[in-house]
Amino acid sequence: MSRDDLLVRMEGISKRFGTVQALKNVDFDVKRQEVMGLVGDNGAGKSTLIKILTGVYKPDEGKIYFEGREVSFNSPKEARDLGIEAVYQDLALIPLMSITRNFFLGRELVRKVGPLNLLEQRKMDETATKVLRDIGVKVRSPDEPVAILSGGERQSVAIGRAIHFGAKLLVLDEPTAALSIKESQKVLDFVLEAKERGLSIIFITHNIYHVYSVADRFTILEHGRKVAEFAKGDVSAEEIIEIIRSGHQEAVREKEKG
Amino acid sequence: MDNKFLKTFTTKARKRPEFGVLVGFLIVFIGFSFAAERFLTFDSIAGIITVAAELGIVTAGITFLMIAGEFDLSVGSVLGASGMICAITATAGIPHIVGLLLALGAAAIIGLLNGVLVVHTGVPSFIITLGSQMLWRGVILAVTGGFPVRYWGDSALLFALNGRFAGQLRMSAFWFIAIVVLLTFALTRTRYGNWVFATGGGPQAAKALGIQINKVKVVNFVISAVLAGLAGCIQFARFRSIDPTRGQGLELEAIAAAVIGGTLMTGGYGSIIGAMLGALLVGMVRSGLVMAGAPSYWYQAFIGIVLIVASVVNIRLRRWALR
Repeated sequence: MSRDDLLVRMEGISKRFGTVQALKNVDFDVKRQEVMGLVGDNGAGKSTLIKILTGVYKPDEGKIYFEGREVSFNSPKEARDLGIEAVYQDLALIPLMSITRNFFLGRELVRKVGPLNLLEQRKMDETATKVLRDIGVKVRSPDEPVAILSGGERQSVAIGRAIHFGAKLLVLDEPTAALSIKESQKVLDFVLEAKERGLSIIFITHNIYHVYSVADRFTILEHGRKVAEFAKGDVSAEEIIEIIRSGHQEAVREKEKG
Repeated sequence: MDNKFLKTFTTKARKRPEFGVLVGFLIVFIGFSFAAERFLTFDSIAGIITVAAELGIVTAGITFLMIAGEFDLSVGSVLGASGMICAITATAGIPHIVGLLLALGAAAIIGLLNGVLVVHTGVPSFIITLGSQMLWRGVILAVTGGFPVRYWGDSALLFALNGRFAGQLRMSAFWFIAIVVLLTFALTRTRYGNWVFATGGGPQAAKALGIQINKVKVVNFVISAVLAGLAGCIQFARFRSIDPTRGQGLELEAIAAAVIGGTLMTGGYGSIIGAMLGALLVGMVRSGLVMAGAPSYWYQAFIGIVLIVASVVNIRLRRWALR
């Protein structure tokens, strides 16, 4: 595999919080236009790894390469400016604000009049409606508050927003948690839609069956270490669950060789 | 077709935070029109506007801050301090414009202190501004020795601040309207307004999207304090005398008016137009009860009832709107 295929490469990442070794010498990479499933039990280090990638934490050791260049983030904003966009289920949108206002929050379209930055409300309404319609989200009206949307619709708005603003890598943290089956399916469809549009996606979850249906590869973490990495064809959903349950890294490696 | 128009109108209207207070305002207005004989006269309405304007300027500022998710219990003391600065400088022969600027500047500094303390210590604004309220009230009492300061002169500036220009109608009405228009514009039409809603409605999400929520909060603390200061100067221009307890209890009245106007205590939702109607409602209850012949002691009790009813109705309305 040529390195040019890689959108993100994290090498030898270690992170310690006080006496807790959250991550130890983890290598992790995501190809262009790939859905990477990042799985593991609670406390395995998934969130820590992702927070390092999105600029929330700095690693104690290790390097991060994005599009082939070494990068180092001092804030989530720096990561986002490069095109790494995290979508957290509860934190992505503000329920009492309208869909449009959420869509453009922090990136408002404005017209400068003297010292004032006036909102281009109509243009933003039109853009938000169009973008969401294009990726298949139906909204009644862009000035409806996000609070009236279902959990799945909120995820879709957040994903649509990331696509529109040119994200290259989408990080979805438990995007299907607490969603109904139908709603989960919708979110999974949006993941594929985002991939279709050329994005790479890191999909973090406990629900192996959800991630299995959309992911191209899987990275399994356990107690802060990478236990295994598989292409989808090489492993079944049941085997992934078994690895997470047993935490048997040696057995897994032997199986890989064998 | 008329029916359909009415239907879309009510569907749209009920989704606005001001809907509840508008209905309440009309009900109380019609009620007093029947119950109090001289209620529907120009001077009576002008009297209500005078009271509502001073309260409303403070309410508008506090609403702007509450939408950003913070509180300000110090506005009453700030109003007193600014009014007192106007009074003391005027009696000392200092030009009124200088006194006004000093008063507003002092208010801005108090607001800045409130804001910086809240965002850097993490202590809830309720506590910080309660302390601030007591501190500045104490300073006023100490400086004046507890005596009111009276000023006998006049000036064009004092007229511009709160002179009578038609019957009982005073200039404060224009200041009130101007501030409501300005803040409404800022909130609904500018990028900053978007950040204010986001700061109160989802600080974590706002921060994640790169909005400097601490800056927004500090700016809004300053705006809230400066408007309370302006109200203090306007009151000085009306009474030409400031006693050391001026503005005491006003913070609660202003918060009540803001909440009656549909603004959420938890932030992220509210309206300056609602705040204006809330202040007008409070002013109307104050004058209306007296005109209807009720002992003025009943005023506070009535406001209490209005506050509770309004809050319950507003919560119901919002649930209804979010369906």
